[in-house]
Amino acid sequence: MGNLVQAELRKTTTTGLWWGLLIPTAVLALGWGLATGLLGQFFVDFASSSDVDEVSDFLGVSPDQWKVSLFGMARAINISTIFPMIFGAMAISGEINRRTITTTFLTAPSRMHSMLAKMLVYVLWGAIYGLVIMLFVSVGVVLTSESGQLPDAGGWAMLTLVCVLSSILMTMFGVGVGALIPNVAGTVVLLLLYFLVIENVLHGVLAYLEVPAVIGFLPNGSINGLTGSVAVDLFLSTAGVVPPEIEDVLRAIAGAGGALDWWWSGLVFLAWSGIVFAGGWAVTQAKDIT
Amino acid sequence: MHDGSGLIAVQNLTKQFGSVTAVQNLSFTVSPGSVTGFLGPNGAGKTTTLRMLLGLVKPTGGTATINGRPFHQLGQPGRVVGAVLEAQGFHPARSARDHLRVYAAAIGVPDAQADQVLGLVGLGTAADRKVGGFSLGMKQRLALATALLGDPQVLVLDEPANGLDPEGIAWLRTFLQSYARMGRTVLISSHLLAEVEQTVDQVVIISRGQTMFYGPLEQLRQSQQQRVLVQPSDVNALAMALRNEGVQTIEQLPDGRLAVSGVDSKHVADSALRAGVSIYGIQEEQVDLERLFFQLTSGQYAGYAPAPYQQQQQGGWA
Ligand SMILES: Nc1ncnc2c1ncn2[C@@H]1O[C@H](COP(=O)(O)OP(=O)(O)OP(=O)(O)O)[C@@H](O)[C@H]1O
Ligand SMILES: [Mg+2]
Repeated sequence: MGNLVQAELRKTTTTGLWWGLLIPTAVLALGWGLATGLLGQFFVDFASSSDVDEVSDFLGVSPDQWKVSLFGMARAINISTIFPMIFGAMAISGEINRRTITTTFLTAPSRMHSMLAKMLVYVLWGAIYGLVIMLFVSVGVVLTSESGQLPDAGGWAMLTLVCVLSSILMTMFGVGVGALIPNVAGTVVLLLLYFLVIENVLHGVLAYLEVPAVIGFLPNGSINGLTGSVAVDLFLSTAGVVPPEIEDVLRAIAGAGGALDWWWSGLVFLAWSGIVFAGGWAVTQAKDIT
Repeated sequence: MHDGSGLIAVQNLTKQFGSVTAVQNLSFTVSPGSVTGFLGPNGAGKTTTLRMLLGLVKPTGGTATINGRPFHQLGQPGRVVGAVLEAQGFHPARSARDHLRVYAAAIGVPDAQADQVLGLVGLGTAADRKVGGFSLGMKQRLALATALLGDPQVLVLDEPANGLDPEGIAWLRTFLQSYARMGRTVLISSHLLAEVEQTVDQVVIISRGQTMFYGPLEQLRQSQQQRVLVQPSDVNALAMALRNEGVQTIEQLPDGRLAVSGVDSKHVADSALRAGVSIYGIQEEQVDLERLFFQLTSGQYAGYAPAPYQQQQQGGWA
């Protein structure tokens, strides 16, 4: 197994895809980070200057101490992890497209061995992408935010943890989908459509039907919940007593409408990744490589 | 995991792609120590058979084993069998050396092995070039280098001469023969008998997914029946005379000549003399292997088993 893992690792490092996708990831993360700080600043200025004192009253802190950056960071992480997911999606579909899968299967004890080795290597890459995303989001946010709006040390640690987790899970999900739909273009288009459009529409419909709780169990809903819930929790921990209606609004802002606790969200998405991977494995196992 | 015998055994192998029967009840074995040619026209089922042997395609029926085991039970397949297959891919952005190092890691052989096989197939100077820029022949050599990485006991090559220059083909020929002489097993497919005639000791000839001939090449050579082609002054009289002497296989060719099998030209000439028939021309036909191969494998899409000489008439043979 160690041999196969090394082989899979070499596959990823001997082509330019990893940095070809890492650069836009970093740029996107940085952009969102910068925008987050600016928007947060704008919001805080607005809240402080106008008569929204009632809000600040029951949040129990003055607006300039609101950690509004948390919401933008959660959003930034959600959007940026699309890239590691695409990277993962190319793992198996790319090999099938280029027909290198033949040699891969000829040199592995079984197809399952190949797929597991790939999964391990892509978990590692997911973590690397996650760290890079966190780094660039943080730089963007720190550059444009007042220190009062930034999380404390514990908050940073927690966000880093969920960012890396989220990135790993998204990568794994991508690997599974790439095995399930062994076609690069098909996989990438489907994933982008689903994560950027289809599920957002679904969220709207579910909210309209007044069953927002379901959202937290959908793939995008659960992965957003992982980071979003942490952001909301961190925000609330310094914001005093908040009525449930306001909490729901905050969750929606964080992109975690109807979401569960962060670790529950993570488990739900892990289950989705597991289902997709199992499907991908079944397809790969039965496939005639001609 | 496996018995180390180097034996390839294909038994009642069948593969159905939807309504297409690619391989039908195919059986043969390949022994170590010899080069076996796997021959058949386009679409005969060669690639499908080899891919089933290598665990890439699931048989509809029957078994294919290497060292007594199906491919997925070999444990470390890269060290047991090396394969060059049709349409085997390379990542165009990877250099030849990197490509080999990826699979060297998978097989578990040291990286130095990558450079060694590159040198062996004559790609030493192209090691750092990206495979995307390789010519067909260079890719074929790289595929062969990949197959040799694990120093396997069994080599399976699907049309390996594709794209090779004459020098490359000559090199491959000697290489495969010496490989087999080390007691290893070499199975090599081709749709041209002439291409492998000088390389192989054994042949398996298939057509329409079925075995047509299986045995030593020598035996195939000897199985060909000599014919005498004769142009007599009176066709009927000569045919009658020969029949009276017990010669049964006589055929009239479109150009008016008689084709007589089972006897030599001297016999035919003597019969003609006794029957008072003049002979304007006589020759002993040289049926070459290629024609024999053609006879064995023809009618792929015709749906009937052609009689040997009927085929030649259709081909405008003269
Ligand atoms: N994936 C597939 N789906 C459907 N039919 C297939 C598939 N692969 C092969 N076939 C069919 O199976 C038959 C045998 O094909 P195969 O590639 O094994 O022939 P071959 O002997 O290798 O021919 P060639 O000399 O052209 O390489 C052909 O009729 C082909 O169309
Ligand atoms: Mg073929």
